[in-house]
Amino acid sequence: MTQLILFNVFNGLIIGAFYALMALGLSLILNLSGVINFAHGGFLALGAYIAYSLSPHIGFWGALVVAPVATAVVGLVVERVLIRRVYGRDPLYSLLLTFGLAYIFEDVLRYIWGAQSVPFPIPPALASPLSPEYFFLTGYRLFMVALVAAAVVALFVILNRTKLGIRIRAGTQDLETVNVLGVNVRILRNLNFGLGTYLAGLAGVLAAGMLGLQPTIGTSLIMPSFVAIIVGGLGSLPGTLLGGLLIGVASGLTTMFFPSATEAVMYVMMGLVLLVRPRGLLGEEGRVQ
Amino acid sequence: MTQRTTGGVTRRTIIKAAAATAAAQVAGPFVISARGDTPVRIGLDNPLTGTYAALGKNELIGCQLAIEQINAKGGILSRQVELLSEDSTSGDAGTAVQKARKLIDRDNVNFLVGNVNSALALAMADVAAEKKVLMVVPGGHTDAVTGTSCHYNVFRVCNTTQMEANAVAPTLIKNAGKKWYYITPDYAFGHTLQAGLEKACAANGGSKIGADLTPLGTTDYSSYLIKAQAANPDVIIFLPQGDDMINAMKQAVQFGLDKRFHLAGAQQELEALEGLPPEARVGTWVFEWYWNQPNNPHVATFVSAIQKKTGKVPTARTWFGYAATWTCALAANNAKSLDTLKMAKTLSGMKLPPEVSLMPDQAYYREGQNQLLGDLFVGQAQAKGSTAEDLFKVSTIVKGPDAAGTLAETGCKMQWPA
Repeated sequence: MTQLILFNVFNGLIIGAFYALMALGLSLILNLSGVINFAHGGFLALGAYIAYSLSPHIGFWGALVVAPVATAVVGLVVERVLIRRVYGRDPLYSLLLTFGLAYIFEDVLRYIWGAQSVPFPIPPALASPLSPEYFFLTGYRLFMVALVAAAVVALFVILNRTKLGIRIRAGTQDLETVNVLGVNVRILRNLNFGLGTYLAGLAGVLAAGMLGLQPTIGTSLIMPSFVAIIVGGLGSLPGTLLGGLLIGVASGLTTMFFPSATEAVMYVMMGLVLLVRPRGLLGEEGRVQ
Repeated sequence: MTQRTTGGVTRRTIIKAAAATAAAQVAGPFVISARGDTPVRIGLDNPLTGTYAALGKNELIGCQLAIEQINAKGGILSRQVELLSEDSTSGDAGTAVQKARKLIDRDNVNFLVGNVNSALALAMADVAAEKKVLMVVPGGHTDAVTGTSCHYNVFRVCNTTQMEANAVAPTLIKNAGKKWYYITPDYAFGHTLQAGLEKACAANGGSKIGADLTPLGTTDYSSYLIKAQAANPDVIIFLPQGDDMINAMKQAVQFGLDKRFHLAGAQQELEALEGLPPEARVGTWVFEWYWNQPNNPHVATFVSAIQKKTGKVPTARTWFGYAATWTCALAANNAKSLDTLKMAKTLSGMKLPPEVSLMPDQAYYREGQNQLLGDLFVGQAQAKGSTAEDLFKVSTIVKGPDAAGTLAETGCKMQWPA
């Protein structure tokens, strides 16, 4: 029994790391631009399908590098053409825009790659468990956790050490002042959106290795990411990371005792956090009243 | 306020025109063939978007082929037939019912066909019963459609979940063992399928040692798999369908569980096996129809007709759509009428001709239940067979009547109008 609980905690951390990767991209865009990007799942699916089409030519590793970049390029264009127009307006506009975009993405993917699931192969070296006893620790899942860790470190280095990152953080606090100080806010938001969609694309490639790849793959993964942001706290990237890990562990443990509620438990957590501490575990005060 | 103009046309006009064009495309049904003065209309209300889009699309292709053949052979009562296809969505019963009412009230269809989703099929059947329109369910499996919720004018092509369970249980007990652990999707289809398997398993001397209900649309099955392997069963039974099935099997095989346990289930579909990487195409399953039937010339003709249309072999779903559409034509032509009651009486007990039945034994609609009883194909999934699309090795063919149980067991109390 204890072993089973420990297994599920570790397993939950692995899943949580994945949720966190998705949620970080969402969180970046939300913090700087105030846009709740419902199309994030669409970008995730796009990244996965690009990797699927590229991998026969440049292999899994090549696709892992190229597909997220390609997704980010699409992200930059979408921001430039569409998202930019709703900045500073009622949040309802950006919600409706990205909500519609999510459907457009899904149908375009269905049109190009078909409605049926396609198999996305992963390198055989990663496709088996490390030991029969710890069978849930497959090479692929450990690689995924390592990559999430690397992406988180890289993100924090970018945000804390580079000019772009410092401007993004400053913009999150007070965009008007940053603008007045001579920073081109348009470009800043554009690059930030690109960075967010890069993370979505990366999550997409990783997801395609574990899950069936079909046009709706993003839709089923987007809600846990929103929950992770709310539980962790709006405006806080470490909070988002923590939120992702927490819901992963919580749903893993729920399987032990009440399996049909594994999805519901996330929303129960979200409800509790909103009641007791509306700004989220590590959220800034004042962002949500 | 100034408006930007393009050659005398304002931008707003262009946008309005574009919006109107888009709206027209959404509003108008997709008319496939229309010749003659008053064509007979078949209304297909099936998913084209969402989780079941791939399955719905394949059923649509089967319907289209049947329509072409029916028209080539003189149509229904010497009138041309046209197919009106509406997107029911994958899970919204409200939309499915609204589309069914639209097809019946506004488009005056003579037949209603659908739905992949059992819950939507049940909701549509209530509309068909109220409006007294002949309905054929191609691929919604839950028992109630031809069981406790049966109607005299609602017929079904695909099997009941109980039939699938009865078909696979003996083979599974013999080849894999008696202790079963279930991973079951938490909705009507999953519940009835698990109940059916438990019954069939017990009847063959096996037992259930555990079961977990998983929410529909679950992406991560690892925690369920951790729990299932700890119970140390002989067989882990996977009952989720479609994308959920792919997620579950992919993860189970990555965990190496296929080497420690027998992975199996009841219903399996070619669409799902094609979405799995080759190493994850394992386990014992039931196919309700399979394209690779050597020495059956009718099947070969059907397969090549579909290949010509799509470049791929037909799946069970393609056949469901095909058989359902032909059922409509046969009902009317044999009854020599489009009257619902007369057609239903004709269909009741009717055998499908071999070129529509497309299986070793001729399938027929059982009287008193309106359920088609054909053959079920039990066998093993395989990475690659005779061709790249041959992903299932049939080991046993179970006759429908042997798997169907008695009429009393189905719970159907058929009421015919006076």
